Amino acid sequence: MTSLALLFTLAAFGIAETAYLIEKRYASEKPVCPIGGGCRAVLESKYNRMFGVHNDILGFGFYVAVCIISGLFVVQVGPTDLWNKLLILMVGGSAIMSLVLIFIQWKIVKHWCFWCLMSSLTVGLMALIIIISGFDVAALTSRI
Amino acid sequence: MDGKPNASYHILRVGMGITFIWIGVLIFRDPQTWAAFINPWVRELIPIDPVQTILGTAVFDIILGFMMLINLLPWVVALLATVHLVGILIVSGINEITVRDIGLATGTIALFWQSLPERHKTMLKHKAKTS
Repeated sequence: MTSLALLFTLAAFGIAETAYLIEKRYASEKPVCPIGGGCRAVLESKYNRMFGVHNDILGFGFYVAVCIISGLFVVQVGPTDLWNKLLILMVGGSAIMSLVLIFIQWKIVKHWCFWCLMSSLTVGLMALIIIISGFDVAALTSRI
Repeated sequence: MDGKPNASYHILRVGMGITFIWIGVLIFRDPQTWAAFINPWVRELIPIDPVQTILGTAVFDIILGFMMLINLLPWVVALLATVHLVGILIVSGINEITVRDIGLATGTIALFWQSLPERHKTMLKHKAKTS
């Protein structure tokens, strides 16, 4: 599998995961917590939103954007330099946000949320792909 | 959804969603190559340009895949995906990639049955018994 396909797949996993969390929140249902049991404590804490928007919605928007951008890279449409910069900016920002959220779970809420950690891992792997590509995702298109 | 879908259902749903969207993206990348899969007898039947037809298919694939990912109307989406895949099998004929389409079609059938509301399942079973 090529790196772009992997980036796209990770974003698609993120979409499914955040859509599940949004669905559960709107239905006022408890999400399944496969490992540990701190999902509820974390998801219902006061840190469940940033800039006044729920983290699951922010995550959903981010993953959809990454999916679209990686798709545009594959199709080779539009200004690839701009897509590249946008992707680095978004994944970088999300990686910082993920680190902050991990710290909050570890030191403040003192509970671990499976879905939040999965999302952090997804973002971490995306960052790794971008680093391996030498911060030039556009170059990956020719290797597809 | 009335029933409680298990983890395997969600794994299949997400996997199928990714496959459908990715196929749509790949069609957009090179529609001419994908249009070549359409059999000549189908080209004669359809008045639309094969490339336009295949691009329409790509849009449909992406919509279906996205709906699978977010678990929106899963049984309707799975039914449409099954019909779509059966259509592809008819349109493209038997070739070296047919077995993959059969695999995908059985996957969408499984998704359809798993996500079909209980009342519809009961109705279908009742109809099968009476006929």
